[in-house]
Amino acid sequence: MPTKEEVLEKLKNGVIQYDEDACKEGANEAIAIGMDGNEAIFEGLVAGMEEVGRLFEAQEYFVPEILMCADALYAGLDILKPHCKQMDLGVKGAVVIGTVEGDVHDIGKNLVKMMFDVAGFTVYDLGRDVPLDQFVEEQLRTDSELVCLSAMMTTSMIGMPKVIEKIKARNPNVMIMIGGAPTSKELADKWGADGYAEDASNALKEAIKMVSFLKNLRAEKEAEKKG
Amino acid sequence: MLLQGATLVGVGDVTQALTSEIIHLNRAIAIAMNRGLGEDTSSKLIRLQSVAEGWLKERGFRYLSIPPDSDRRKGKFISRLYKLFPHKTAATCSGLGWVGKNGLVINRDYGSKLSWATVLTNAPLVADLPTEKSQCGNCNLCVIHCPSGAVTGREWSINEPYREIVKYEKCSTMKKSRRLLEDRPNCGLCINICPYSRNGKTVKT
Repeated sequence: MPTKEEVLEKLKNGVIQYDEDACKEGANEAIAIGMDGNEAIFEGLVAGMEEVGRLFEAQEYFVPEILMCADALYAGLDILKPHCKQMDLGVKGAVVIGTVEGDVHDIGKNLVKMMFDVAGFTVYDLGRDVPLDQFVEEQLRTDSELVCLSAMMTTSMIGMPKVIEKIKARNPNVMIMIGGAPTSKELADKWGADGYAEDASNALKEAIKMVSFLKNLRAEKEAEKKG
Repeated sequence: MLLQGATLVGVGDVTQALTSEIIHLNRAIAIAMNRGLGEDTSSKLIRLQSVAEGWLKERGFRYLSIPPDSDRRKGKFISRLYKLFPHKTAATCSGLGWVGKNGLVINRDYGSKLSWATVLTNAPLVADLPTEKSQCGNCNLCVIHCPSGAVTGREWSINEPYREIVKYEKCSTMKKSRRLLEDRPNCGLCINICPYSRNGKTVKT
């Protein structure tokens, strides 16, 4: 039987080395030795993704590596997800995510979606080229706390303020994040969005930050329990 | 080379054909296998690819594998990058063939009967000389025999990679209508009729 540390190391390195088989193996071992699914995800897979984010910033990794790492992470996540206890971290929620009408670029959106999956959010993925009103309807239907809009082209980005306005008019408490190459902090402020990410890698970085925050919160709670 | 079981292996310098996402991967390893009847060429090619991946990874090089059935792979992150690089570019840049009038890679010895897989990498492998021009010459067998009239007869050259050689919508429309009538929609006449696919024997029209 491998030790807990060995399993976590395997999961972490599996993500960094974009080795799907290692991630699957690590995930199965984690279950075999009765490890908590969340621990395996946060201390193993997410720890690996944090390092991947760093490697990308250092220009050691490029887009293909990031995507292969993401695939490896999902390979492990798919196995671990059914073995996760519901976490109580005070932040829970549902998110509606999609690429706006006229745009079919969704790599960034998918990376962000992955980190929401990891963090235990319920994700309502509308896919790409999504009609503007569908965001509004889906938010109302699911009562999600968060809506993420993505676009890579300026021409499709111009639909974003309309969606933001409509959602905020019906439910001012919904948080809205926008992302994609043409977006900027200024535009996000002007349109009343609550956050923004420039491109797939920045979105990933932001999402990693968010998940790292959850990870620390989790560690604190665990420590409290023990203490 | 290290790959056993491949029909052909070549290395091409593909610097000219890369988009910004994959600009660092300027060598393409083209792996080809002769399609035998009833054999699972795809899975064999994928096995060969993973051999190459392992070899490159051990030496600390970056790579991106594009599987033989890239258009059927969906749902993975990495599959979104497959369409950035066609196998044809790897094959022609590594000198293993040209794009024939039938729009498929034609190799001197095996014609269009090959299945292809590509591994892009930043390893500084010695590149083979690229094939720059079509060797179809005056042969127009595939133009004459294409049942959908999709083959235009235009000739490929490495300087005009985006020229329309085959009207693919005509080909796929015919395949679709055939699917309604019979189980085997694939036609393949442009492969079978090619003299190079028949081991180089010339055929009289």
